[in-house]
This record gives sequence, C-alpha cells and structure tokens, in this order.
Amino acid sequence: MKKTLLLSVLFVAAMVVTTAGSVAAAPKPIKIGIIGPFTGPVAFNGGEMKKGMMLAVDEINSKGGLFGRKIKLVFGDTESKPDKGVAVVKKIITRDKVLVVGGGYHSSVNIATSEVCHREKTPVVVAIAISPTITARGLNYVFRTSPNSPQFLAGMNEWLEKVKRPKAVAFFMENTDYGRDGEKIWSAIAKKIGAKELARLYFEIGDTDFSTQISKLKKLKPEVTFNICSTTEASLIQKQSKELNFVTQWIGVGGQFTEAYFKMSGSTCQYAMGCSLEPTLNMKDPIVADFVRRYEKKYKGSRPGIFPSQGYDNIMVIMDAIKQAGEPTGKLQVDRDRIRDVLRKTSLKLTQGKIEFDKTGQVYTVSPSPVQVQLMEGKPQLFVVYPPDRAGSDYQEPLPWDKR
Amino acid sequence: MESLFLQQVLNGLIVGSVYSLIAIGLTMIFGVMKIANFAHGDFSMLGAYFALYATALMTGLLGWVGSMVVAAIGVGIIGYFVERYLFRPLLSRWTDIDIIMLSIGLFIVLENLAQLIFGATPKMITDPFHSESVNLFFFSTSVIRLLSFLFAIISIALLQVFLTRTKMGVAIRATSQNSNASLLMGVNINFIYSLTFMVGSALAGLGGVLYGTIFAIFPTMGAMPTLKAFAITILGGMGSIRGAIFGGFILGVAETLGGNYVSMEYKNSIGFVIVILVLLIIPQGLFGKKET
Repeated sequence: MKKTLLLSVLFVAAMVVTTAGSVAAAPKPIKIGIIGPFTGPVAFNGGEMKKGMMLAVDEINSKGGLFGRKIKLVFGDTESKPDKGVAVVKKIITRDKVLVVGGGYHSSVNIATSEVCHREKTPVVVAIAISPTITARGLNYVFRTSPNSPQFLAGMNEWLEKVKRPKAVAFFMENTDYGRDGEKIWSAIAKKIGAKELARLYFEIGDTDFSTQISKLKKLKPEVTFNICSTTEASLIQKQSKELNFVTQWIGVGGQFTEAYFKMSGSTCQYAMGCSLEPTLNMKDPIVADFVRRYEKKYKGSRPGIFPSQGYDNIMVIMDAIKQAGEPTGKLQVDRDRIRDVLRKTSLKLTQGKIEFDKTGQVYTVSPSPVQVQLMEGKPQLFVVYPPDRAGSDYQEPLPWDKR
Repeated sequence: MESLFLQQVLNGLIVGSVYSLIAIGLTMIFGVMKIANFAHGDFSMLGAYFALYATALMTGLLGWVGSMVVAAIGVGIIGYFVERYLFRPLLSRWTDIDIIMLSIGLFIVLENLAQLIFGATPKMITDPFHSESVNLFFFSTSVIRLLSFLFAIISIALLQVFLTRTKMGVAIRATSQNSNASLLMGVNINFIYSLTFMVGSALAGLGGVLYGTIFAIFPTMGAMPTLKAFAITILGGMGSIRGAIFGGFILGVAETLGGNYVSMEYKNSIGFVIVILVLLIIPQGLFGKKET
C-alpha cells in the first residue's frame, strides 16, 4: 500500500516536472496591457472593445504571433473609476511588466491612467476617450487612436450651424471630463449661432433615474438637447423621455449607439443623433467591409459597432509598433522606448480610417459623421445624415410621441 | 413653476415607494434580529434577475405580475438559507461588528457571483406597456411607473395587515419589542427569525423587480438601494416599519426636489446629509424609540 502511494507520488512529481519544463521551453508571450471598464455600468461597451481586440490578436496568433512569440493581452478592470484605473494600470506596468498599454475608456479615467503610464515611462495608446486633455499635456509616452472631442464633433457642429440652427438648446451631460469637455465645445457653437442656453444639467455615471432632470427639461422646451453619455444612461434617458412625454432633438457623441442600446431603448431611441464611426455605415471601404465580415464570422449574431472597431484599430496600431520596433531585447525600458519612438511614425489604413499621429500623439486623420436613428420597417437603424455627399438618409425632425 | 414642483413631487413619491419597500425589509430584519444587513440591496438585485428570467417565459402584464411573485418567492427562499446557515449559527457567538462584516462579505460575494452568472451587461425587464405615458392635468408619468407605485403601496398595505392582524405578525412585532419576553410567552424565536428574514428579503426582491422595471438591472445595482435603505431606516428610526414607509417617501421627494432646485450632482448625497442631520438632532429617528 505504502509502496504504491510512494510510486504514485513520484509519478505525479515527474509529471509536474516534465510539464513545467515544457512550459518553460515555449517562448514567453509578448504582453500588452489593456485597461477598460469590464464591470459596472458600461461593461457592455468595455466588452465590445475587448471583442474587437481579441479578433486582431487571435488573427495574429493563429499566424504564429510576432517574432515567433504569441501576443498576450493582460486585462485590467477600471470599473469606470479613475482611482481603480490608476491602481490597475500600475499593477499591469510594474507586476505584469507589459511592453505597452492599450485600451482605455472614459476620459476621466484615462487622464489619470495615461499620466501614470508616462511617469512609469511606458507607452500608452488610448483607444476610447475623447477629452482633449489626454494628449494636450505634452506627455510624450501618450498616444490616442480615437479622435478627440473637437475632431469628433466637427461634422455635427457644421450640421448645427448650416442646417439645424436651433434657437434654444439645453445641456444634459455626464458629470465627467467626457461630458464637460463636450459641453464647452457645444456651448461655443450655441453662442456662435445665437441659440439660447436654457439649462445645464448633469448626472453621475451609474444613475438610473433621470425623471427629475427630464421633468425640468420638459418645462423649458429646448429644441436641441445635448446629451453626452454612454449606452445604459442613454437608453434609460430615451425611455424615460417617452414616459414623461418629453420631445427634443437629442444630440450625443455617438458612443451610446451599441447593440445593447438598441435592445434596451427599443423604438424610443428614434430621432436620436450622434457622431459616429460605425463600421457598418461605411461598407464601401474594402478594409471596413472585410473587418465586418470577419467580426460577424467570429462572433455569430453580433454586429460590430464603434467600440469593436476602435478596439481592433487600437490593438493593430500597437502590434504594428511592436513589429516595427524589432524583436524585444528583454530589457524592458529599452523595448518600451523603442516602441514609443516607432509609434510616432505610425501610418496605417484601418477600420476607422487612416491612422497617423500628430506631434502630441493624437490621431488627426479620423473624422466621424453626424448620424441619426431612424426607423426602417419598424426597426431602429443608424443613418449618416450629413454632409450630403456621404448621407444615407435625410434628417428627420422629431415628432411628438403620440404621432410616432 | 408650480406644476414643475408638483411633477417633481410625483416623481419623488413613485421612486420613494420603491425605496420604502426595500427599506421596510431592512428595518424589519434589524428590529427583530438586530442584524444590519449590508447585503440587503443584493436581494433586490437577485429579485430583479429572477424577474428578468421569469418575464422571458411569461409576457404581458400578467407575466410582469407573475415575475414579481417568482422574485418574492425565489429571494425569500434564498433569504431563508442565508439566515438559517449563515447568520443564525453566528448570532449567539459573534459580536455585532462580526455580523456586519459577515453581511459586507456576503454583499461582495453576491455581487461577484451575479457578475459571473448573469454577466456585467445591464439589462431591462420588458415593460408590458412599452413606456406608454399617462398625461393628467399637468402631470406626466408612465403606466408602468403608476402600476409600480400601486404595487408598492399594495405590498406595504398587505404587510401591515399581516403584522397587525395575524398571530405570526404579532409574534414578529413582539419579538422586535423584546425577544426574551416573547420567548417566555412561548414564541418560537428561531421560527420568527427565519420568517422575518424571509419576508424582509422577499420585500427587497419585490422592490428590485420594480426598480429593474422602471430603471435597469446589473450586478452592482444593489449597492445604491442598500445605502438608501440605511439612510431611510436611520431617518425613520432603526427597526420602525412606519418610519421606513415614511422615510422612503421623504427621501424620494427630497431627492427629486433637491435635484430640481439645488443641484442634480448632489442628488445621491441628499440621503446622507439627512442621515447626519437626523443623527445630530433626533438620533432615535422620526418614529424610533428613545434608548433608555
């Protein structure tokens, strides 16, 4: 009895040794840190970004990876909170020793995390966050593959000035850098076209009851209500507007237009507007069409919205930089600096358009168009409504609820 | 201006009714067992998920009402097991602070389990009336909000009948007043503990369904109702059911009026300002007994 026990212990030990040996022999993966809100109110959007990233990584890894090494993404959950983001990005940089940090969502979180990356001398490529502050501080380890808010809203602003020209507007913003920066831009536009500002209201991320603010807005009757927010809040606001019988032209940034948004808000999101880089609206471009096809093949029944596409581009830029920087030397700081230097020279044609960085590390070659949710055979769908040469449909004025 | 004021009061009363429902469960459990259950809001979250799956099987208004029954029973059963196998074995041996730590631990475990099982993506219970609005005089609200308000009021009324007209209800109140005396009078204390925890959890579950119908459902949704329920019980008096009912409505209205006239950014802090003021001025709460 004792003998068999001893034998089996030896056998197990031998197995552990051999398998451990074989693991050690395989080349270590190249690690890229990815931060994002993978739990909490915008978990869906974080997950969308991740799906786009995994598509890119799986494609590279199935072809053998880079320099014969697999690419491994190390995920860190920011829970949409700047303090959590700082803690998790520090952990990824110092403990997981990633070469470069990608991902990111929420301006408030990324203003904090990108500064940490800069201080730790680790290149960071922000995927989703539009506050200009992120790349405007002269931090030379910081890059961003998403347009900043002036770039994001340029098309919408032109439409507001040349077509819509509202007389009275209101602001209903997420109380973060994302919302406040957008407010500044739109406030300037309102002044320019002589629109009256009726109210500036805010809400916190994770709020679910907006009846107080909507009741107040209803009383003021703004023609256009600027509403910067994410998926969950946007769908709740649209739903509660119907409940409280409030009609306005909602204009957001466009990040809310995800599958979950259409599922949650149903037809109440009709007429809502935003600026978008939805890949499915740009199927004439062969690169985009190919991305959509591969995405739909990998994730059956899903349609890639803006976030998978932004996640995909973000990872493609990072992997391209790792490739251009040459085989990692193993000296972390040398490799990180090399990657930072080649990131500056990035020039790729991806799903959001051409990606090139200016001196501050900000992409300047991506320009979203104004889109509106319109019903097609009873189903809400996004259409580009401006400029005329790119428009897929005419702009529709929001109708009162009882006439829809 | 006046119509906006009344509209905001209505908004506050509707939300307040849901707050009350959740707070009553918390205060009952505290009154009878002296447990400050920080996982209380997670029972609301569980209730909301039960209802979400139930409405996938049953549709329409009946489906929605049915889903509330499913949620109340489901969460009640979970409440029974939590009380019987987590809290009760420790009640006699551990100190108050241990029990609080246990409930905080339970809160973390339930939230993370929910994330694992249900996923982190927010969901909504299908509104059988498709957000249809009701416009009366200068008020606007939705059919579903009015119905939720009605159901909350009915549930509270039924609970009152149960507590005042039935033998079991009287036993619960007696235990809440003095557990030793009740024990001497032949009340089965352990049974009352189980019953109270089940009823309290079921009420939280019910509140969660209403919350999830009007708003949204996600694994971390329980945290806010827990904090608000604590604010309400402190306002109304720890252990006082009447206090929880009124406290819920007061908090709901205070939040909407504060949001409208002061600032929306501070909406969620209004409850906590109230708590501080109450503790400073009337520490026993509006309907609580003075400590002797």
